[in-house]
Amino acid sequence: MFATLAGKALVPVGLAVTGFMVVCCLVLYSVIRDDLHRGEIVHATNLADTILKSTRYAMHKSDRETLATIIRNVGEQKGVDHVRIFNKKGVVTFSAKSGEINRQVDKKAEGCIVCHKEAVPVSNLGTMQQARTFRNPDGMDVMSITAPIYNEPDCSSAACHFHLPGQKVLGTLDIGLSRAELERSLTMLRIQMIIFTMMSLILTVSGVTALLRRNVFLPVQRLRNYVESSAKKNDIPEHPPHLPHDLDIIAASYYNVKMNTFDKKQNSQESVDDCNKGK
Amino acid sequence: MTDMREHQQSADIDKTPDSADKFRQELLKEISRLSRFSTRGILALSLFLVVSILAWWGFFFLPAPETVTALLGKPPSASIISIVLLIYTFSAIILSLSRMAAGIEHCSSFSHVGFLTAFYLFYYFGKSLEENYWAVFGAGITILGVESYRIWSFCAEAITQKQEDLEFVARTGRLPPKEY
Repeated sequence: MFATLAGKALVPVGLAVTGFMVVCCLVLYSVIRDDLHRGEIVHATNLADTILKSTRYAMHKSDRETLATIIRNVGEQKGVDHVRIFNKKGVVTFSAKSGEINRQVDKKAEGCIVCHKEAVPVSNLGTMQQARTFRNPDGMDVMSITAPIYNEPDCSSAACHFHLPGQKVLGTLDIGLSRAELERSLTMLRIQMIIFTMMSLILTVSGVTALLRRNVFLPVQRLRNYVESSAKKNDIPEHPPHLPHDLDIIAASYYNVKMNTFDKKQNSQESVDDCNKGK
Repeated sequence: MTDMREHQQSADIDKTPDSADKFRQELLKEISRLSRFSTRGILALSLFLVVSILAWWGFFFLPAPETVTALLGKPPSASIISIVLLIYTFSAIILSLSRMAAGIEHCSSFSHVGFLTAFYLFYYFGKSLEENYWAVFGAGITILGVESYRIWSFCAEAITQKQEDLEFVARTGRLPPKEY
């Protein structure tokens, strides 16, 4: 394969084109995945903010029933894995899943450890640091956002409330979104990229093969046939076929050499005949 | 190489048995050098595979990215590294194909292993090696594959030429005619 002209022409081209396309696709895939992941985090953060704003009034009024209804309704939405609110001690006070209420959460658990790594917990996290991804017990990939519920002046100054002004974080809202849709989009993107790479490779190799065959291999084959057939004959050589420029020069040179040899042979034959006649 | 060419050019003038013997010795030396040189691409590819395995294991022997970034400062973002990787891959392939077309004997394979290792390290210190591992691996396989093929085909062609010259010397006892 490597010794033939076709192999020598196609192997480096095929390798270079395929390799570069694969690298481009991998880099592009990585960039798109990062962008989608970032978008998903922004979407989840916005959703968490919306929930916090929607529940704010109910929290002020200490209306636990309205709060529980909002959390339950959000949790029933398609693509939402869980919604829960923890109090300062890490106890689930509201959740879309009733079984989780009043359960203590381990501060060393995934998602909590980010803030509770040190003795004094971190109270301010950037949007991207609030996100975590994990697999839930049902085997589904989940992207979760933990949004702290900060103590604000109207929380501590309200007549009905007992939060101290020095308490910075009152609790935490934890919302988890299913990544199934995102994974499906990424799988589709992967398949499309593989198909695109394969099609580009086939097109490149076919194009190069067609051009080489048309411009190089077929003319070389015709030149070879011409040289082989002329070499077998002893009479006047045939005119060379029409070939591309470089090969035409070779064929013409061969024709001239062959003609010269034929003329010399003819002349020497005539001299021999003349000598024989003279005798 | 230059000596060989000069020798070939003077072949028409200097055709004594001694010079033919000397020429044969030089050819044998050159063939053995080319045989050694032809494996250079494969050796570079093997070294790159070793580096890739270490990268796959997450460079366990290196300090944590946080330690290094605390010393050196924030690394470039993954997208910037990826753009540089694409430009590097494109340039390296074009350079290799140009050298192949011009028939230049150039040994750059190991420097490519160095560049690719640097990309692995940049991604590692930027904490995005896992997402971009296959991009660097694909780039390495492509560049070193094309380089290996270039070096191998150059050496194979040169060795065939030298062997033909050797046969000519053995058959005729004279130096081969100058090549056009």
